[in-house]
Amino acid sequence: MSCGTSVKNPAYRRYTRRMMPLSLLYVGAIMLASWLVPDRDQANATAIALALLPGLAVLGWIWAMARLLIELDDEYLRVLEVRKFLVATGVTLAVCSVWGLLEIYTDLPRLPVFLVFPLWAMGLFVGMLVNRITQGASGNCA
Amino acid sequence: MKNRLKVLRAERGWSQQDLAERLEVSRQSVNAIETGRYDPSLPLAFRIADVFGMAIEDIFQRGE
Repeated sequence: MSCGTSVKNPAYRRYTRRMMPLSLLYVGAIMLASWLVPDRDQANATAIALALLPGLAVLGWIWAMARLLIELDDEYLRVLEVRKFLVATGVTLAVCSVWGLLEIYTDLPRLPVFLVFPLWAMGLFVGMLVNRITQGASGNCA
Repeated sequence: MKNRLKVLRAERGWSQQDLAERLEVSRQSVNAIETGRYDPSLPLAFRIADVFGMAIEDIFQRGE
């Protein structure tokens, strides 16, 4: 996929450099916690620490995205990113709210809360498509 | 907001990339401003005016 000149912006390069190790930390921490902690284990200190480890990576992702918006010195590219964030937030609110109502009134399974962030990330992809359709540009393609 | 960016750029024989480099923005930004999909901030509008050596109101006009 062609990224135009946006890929040359140093803010995007820094964003990718930050996201890659955090993603590896997330996957590694999930695998470690799954291996060492049985599901629904008692809330002892070790289980809590291992369960929170992937959460640190998620906090890192959020920090990296905030830094992207702060460091992106091209105002139009920043607008494209903010639009993606807004679309992702809308998608997440819509899915969680509607699914929550379905959970109340039907016997559909509960949506695990840890899926909210991956859902938001999928919303970013929808935001990228919206940018592509309405602006003819998608912003970052990393 | 209307603008004369494309005409002014053509008069100088600059590509969108040339103008983008002079403005220190992406080519996407220049394209979005030229085609009216994005109205630049006042600081960027001043930079555009400086690059062309003109007043802002000679480049940007009211209207769709």
